[in-house]
Amino acid sequence: MKIGFIILLSGIGAQAQNGLRDIPDPDPAKQAAAFNLPEGMEINLFASDPMISKPVQMNWDSEGRLWVVSSGTYPHIVPGAEENDQLLVLEDTDGDGVADKRTVFADDLHIPTAVLPADGGVYVANSTEILFLKDTDGDLVADERRVVLSGFGTEDTHHLVHTFRQGPGGMLYFLQSIYIHSHLETPHGVRRLMGGGIWHYRPETGRAEVLSKGLVNPWGLVFDDYGQSFATDGAGGDGINFIFPRAVGVTSPGAKRVIRGLNPGQPKLCGLEILSGSHVPEEVRGVMIAPDFRGHRINAYRLSPKGSSYESTQLEDFLSSSHRAFRPIDVKMGPDGTVYIADWYNPIIQHGEVDFRDERRDHVHGRIWRVTFKDRGLVKKPKIKEAKTEELLELLKSEERPQRDFARQELRHRGVDVLSALRTWTKAQDDESVLLEALWTFQSLDVTEVGLIRKLVKSRDPRIRAAALRVIYHRHEEIPEVDELIAKAVRDDSAQVRLWAVSCLAQRPSAESVPLALEVLNQPMDEALDFALWSIVREHEKEWVPLYESGRLTFNGNLKQLVFAMTALEKPLSLASVFEGLQSGLLKGENRSEAISAIGKVGTPSDLARLFEMAGTEEEVLDALIEAKRNRKMEPVHGKEKILGIIWEPHLETYQKAAVLAGLWKAEGAFEKLKEVFSNELNTINSRKAAAQGLRHFGGGKVIAFFEDSVLKNKNTSIRELAVSELAVLAPVRAAKGAVIVLQSSEDSASLGILIDIFLKNSGASTALAKALDGQSLPRAVAILGVQRAGTSGKPPQDLIKAFEKAGDLKPMAQQLKPEEMKAMVERVQNEGDPHRGERVYRRAALQCMACHAIGVSGGLVGPNLVSIGGSAPVDYLVNSMLIPSDKIKEGYHTTLVTTKDGNSFTGGLVSEGDQEITLRDSMGKMIKIPTVDVKSKFISPVSMMPPGLTASLREDEFVDLIRFLSELGKEGEFKVGPKPIIRNWQVLQPHERTRDLIGHLGEKIFAERFEGYSWSPMVSMVSGELPTDEMPQVLGRGRNRYGAARFGITSDGPVVLKINETRLMHLFDGEKEIELPENGPASIELAAGKAADRFTLVVNSAYRPEPILVEEQRKK
Amino acid sequence: MRDQLRKVGRMRRFGIIFLLVISWAGASEFQFRNGDRVVLLGNTFVERAQKYGHIETALTLAAGDSQVTFRNLAWSGDTVFGDARSYFGPPKEGFDRLRADLTRIKPTVVIVCYGAVAAFEGKEGLGKFTSGYERLLGMIKETAGPREVVLVSPPPVETLAAPMPDMGAQNKRLEIYRDAIRALSEKVDVKFADLYEVMDGSSEGLTDNGLHFTEKGYAAVAPKLLQAMGLKVPEGDAEKMAALRAKIAEKNEKFFHQWRPSNETYLRLFRKHEQGQNAKELDQFDEIIASREVEIEELKKVALEVSK
Repeated sequence: MKIGFIILLSGIGAQAQNGLRDIPDPDPAKQAAAFNLPEGMEINLFASDPMISKPVQMNWDSEGRLWVVSSGTYPHIVPGAEENDQLLVLEDTDGDGVADKRTVFADDLHIPTAVLPADGGVYVANSTEILFLKDTDGDLVADERRVVLSGFGTEDTHHLVHTFRQGPGGMLYFLQSIYIHSHLETPHGVRRLMGGGIWHYRPETGRAEVLSKGLVNPWGLVFDDYGQSFATDGAGGDGINFIFPRAVGVTSPGAKRVIRGLNPGQPKLCGLEILSGSHVPEEVRGVMIAPDFRGHRINAYRLSPKGSSYESTQLEDFLSSSHRAFRPIDVKMGPDGTVYIADWYNPIIQHGEVDFRDERRDHVHGRIWRVTFKDRGLVKKPKIKEAKTEELLELLKSEERPQRDFARQELRHRGVDVLSALRTWTKAQDDESVLLEALWTFQSLDVTEVGLIRKLVKSRDPRIRAAALRVIYHRHEEIPEVDELIAKAVRDDSAQVRLWAVSCLAQRPSAESVPLALEVLNQPMDEALDFALWSIVREHEKEWVPLYESGRLTFNGNLKQLVFAMTALEKPLSLASVFEGLQSGLLKGENRSEAISAIGKVGTPSDLARLFEMAGTEEEVLDALIEAKRNRKMEPVHGKEKILGIIWEPHLETYQKAAVLAGLWKAEGAFEKLKEVFSNELNTINSRKAAAQGLRHFGGGKVIAFFEDSVLKNKNTSIRELAVSELAVLAPVRAAKGAVIVLQSSEDSASLGILIDIFLKNSGASTALAKALDGQSLPRAVAILGVQRAGTSGKPPQDLIKAFEKAGDLKPMAQQLKPEEMKAMVERVQNEGDPHRGERVYRRAALQCMACHAIGVSGGLVGPNLVSIGGSAPVDYLVNSMLIPSDKIKEGYHTTLVTTKDGNSFTGGLVSEGDQEITLRDSMGKMIKIPTVDVKSKFISPVSMMPPGLTASLREDEFVDLIRFLSELGKEGEFKVGPKPIIRNWQVLQPHERTRDLIGHLGEKIFAERFEGYSWSPMVSMVSGELPTDEMPQVLGRGRNRYGAARFGITSDGPVVLKINETRLMHLFDGEKEIELPENGPASIELAAGKAADRFTLVVNSAYRPEPILVEEQRKK
Repeated sequence: MRDQLRKVGRMRRFGIIFLLVISWAGASEFQFRNGDRVVLLGNTFVERAQKYGHIETALTLAAGDSQVTFRNLAWSGDTVFGDARSYFGPPKEGFDRLRADLTRIKPTVVIVCYGAVAAFEGKEGLGKFTSGYERLLGMIKETAGPREVVLVSPPPVETLAAPMPDMGAQNKRLEIYRDAIRALSEKVDVKFADLYEVMDGSSEGLTDNGLHFTEKGYAAVAPKLLQAMGLKVPEGDAEKMAALRAKIAEKNEKFFHQWRPSNETYLRLFRKHEQGQNAKELDQFDEIIASREVEIEELKKVALEVSK
């Protein structure tokens, strides 16, 4: 198709007009008209170009002035150009909601990415450094400059140190992103942070510390009314992220474990604010809003505490726009109680994908919008600077968050002189929320008010107790009875408090900290708590391990604690008490499994022998032993020969594992036995496969010779195929000829992919296969598969790709569209592309889009989530990415190429890097685990995991439709994933012979039966949420009836209401119990709680019902 | 009065020690030569010096009629292992990066000041530091083969008012490191400049966080460094020197954008297939920097003229 495609394109290219530059009209009135606002909301332009341009971050000062850093230099300075980015101060002097005064505070900055007026001056992030600028003569122009911190990396100018917030305790918080490597020298020593993370800094002491690590490109940070912190990620898709000390988010270099955000499948968000105060309608107060700058909208979320963390529910958009240059990137509550939005204004965002010097980049425009609510009074701005100390203290009670924050900031600025007034005032307060404000004010003054802390850790409100512990986290050294306070908090009823207790312990390395922290295991655990506990066990290794080994630390015989600690640590420890627990039956169920797995992870050869002897036929034990051998090269010191007895276990799984183990251990006699099983045609394919695996692990010359012999002499095709793939693993060069025969004859394309992959592991093997293919021909589909697999390996072997192309008579791919061809293509996408048809193309199984990419919550995790790709990526970028996937790769989705000591290489996305193994996710979504001891090198590869040539099977019009569909994703309209909780992930029934005969007797209930022979495969809804009945596999019924059957679960904890769009020819089962549906029309069904993923079965007669299925899940009120 | 006398006496004594040190370390005094390419290497102290320009201005003037160019390759938080210079790879990558920089620039003189970061580790870290320093010097010799290497001891740190930390212990550690650096300079036969000593062990009033110099601090440290290197401290018209200093800072800014450009991930590293086409822009800085250096040379002559 490719050749015709290109020729046709050139034809259009000749007629292409210049109208391709699809640049929106920068007229602010046009932009204002394009907003889509909910009822009761109004928006006005607060400031616009030329008064301001390219705003990056903004923050208010206590005098009601808005400080904005702006960068026309971004993304990259032109050689010879001056560093001339600006820090502007905007004022609305007449209070009409429009800025009427602008002062340039500084104009010699280089891509400034953060600003915060505080401490009598202003903090500015200026690429490699954080500056403190001060105006000493009152003209609002900086005349003093001090470098506060330097050593921030600049490897990517939209990752630079950014997002200033003053925390409630007076510290300056700032963030950096994935590509940045920072090295800060402080009077407390050097502090380094590789990759993303959140810092806090106290100016009075010069102390800078890392609070949490990871997140791809986080540009939003807020503290709620209780001082808990949350972040958004401009290149991650988890919505709101709960931030606690030592948390590690995705993509932190070398992370052994990461914690995900609260809303997986969300668009990327830049900025974060909490709606508060009297001007905002009551029903949205407390809602978090975060700009989706790709989708030209501002998302909204409501959080509620859940265990030690939070649950976040997406609400309807705060607002959206159909203007393609509206790029909200920061949002802040203003002193008048309204909401201000910084609009970067640019048709092009991001900079990796689009040339730095692309002329469509906008360097001059920029807006600040102001959102108000009809018929709601504005907040009167109090005088802060002129206020008496007593007046400031009263403001700490204000229901207006900015007033509380500015009062605290001003009190901090006034310094220790206000302390006695603060103490007197505090004594007169009894509301604990007010006392918390007082505590933060003391903290802001760098004072630890121990009495107040004592009082608040006893609060009846767990949120206040947690907040008091957060203060302890930072100031523990100054509290005499700190150990008692923390010990009590470890046993608190509230998981939130327990999480902070563990965090506090992490600050205090001692022999007692880890045993105490492990006591949280006595109460229910959740992900955040588990993470914090795992983290302290590892961080404090030097404190507790020697004590444990010397017998002085026994965890009071609590084996659950010991097993947790051991598993977290992944290092050898004395296991005597664990064995006792296993043998006495004290360890049961999950605890028993964890103990066995821990022995595999840390046990010595004697421990392994003891384990094998004790329970060698259990699958869990075999797994643990396999892991010990693979990752640590350790095996039982004696008794290995007993494995031969287990090889004959009738249970297949046990048998497979035993075979692998026999091979790994090279157990005596195993070779003969495995050979016998492998060659016996009467055995099942699975047991032959197991034997093959065992032999593979046995390895060595005689195994190679045996497989080679089987390839050449065995008459049985399936044995021959199996032998080829095993031989390919062990001695690929010798397997190449046999492999070609398999490639020519096999019909199982899934296993062919795996076979080809084996040859891609090293260049000797791929060259051997290329040579063996010379002069041979392959079916076209197999050749395409070969090109695709080869094209996504870490170092694509050109000789093999050519050989596949030749053998399959494929025409080489066009590498790059010429500019005029691209122009014509983009025009066609815009004029002729049909996004609805495109979505159907996208959903085709052969294209594999959904196997790797998700749109919102539905789809694969291998590639980036495409939920808002249309809002961010220009059409030419989409076209290019489809044709040449490796041309541009999103941060966080680069593949990692790991080469092992035996010369093999593995490619995939890096999932985790443990002490014992590295985990990659390959392009088929499969996890590859590579023992760290085997790793020779590890690189970031420039090759995309997306195979080239995926679109080779498409007609040109289909390609155009597909691109159009992608270009609509996330834009205002039909292809924006809405916040409604719609069922999007389904399991659909594949045809089964049983249904046709039995349906007459049993009716549709037959689909709801828990029959093991059924095969269910995943299917996702369209972007609209609808499941098209014509795409469901057709299950035969009597006569012309064809059924589509789909299973699904709900996500809510409590009872729900399912809203169904159309019940015609539909049956719904809760378990196996049918729920009565109306014959026609929509229905709402109330249901009890229950979260099993396969709880419901929904059946439609698809032959007679064309309407798609749409099911919405609502929490029952 | 007696105290003052004692202080003067102590200074004299240090002065004598200082002279002895210089004569031990290098057989001859350090002198610039015409055409010298000087690389300045170190951590934050040296890195920030490029923005203010005092040190480079003083060195430029001290070169007199000799035409000398400077490249500041210092990096905040850096160590003798190049810890701060690595990006996505292992720490070793940082050392290799420095090696590549030196290979390209081929300095004839390298002025190195490390130890301020390592000193936080105290005696425990000393062995690692000195062997690392020696390895670094070996690499410098091997890649650039400069005619002169000068090891500068880190300057003293300052204890500011509470709640800023007491830096007394750090100064004691710095003394130990200074001694080790001096010993190393003797071992590998390179010059040594005892900045710690000429500052009399005190940076009082010169820093804003105890470690890092303010602009005034740099103005005070620059002549001290020259003194420690055995160079004559230039005197001259303040205005003319300020003009020279401004131009030097401007040149340094341009050079910074060339050798440590933003967006390096896209220009030269693993995403260069996306923006590598723009890396050629970096070459344009050569001419820009060269033109600033012509101006610097002119301004230097003017400043020296005045002082004559």
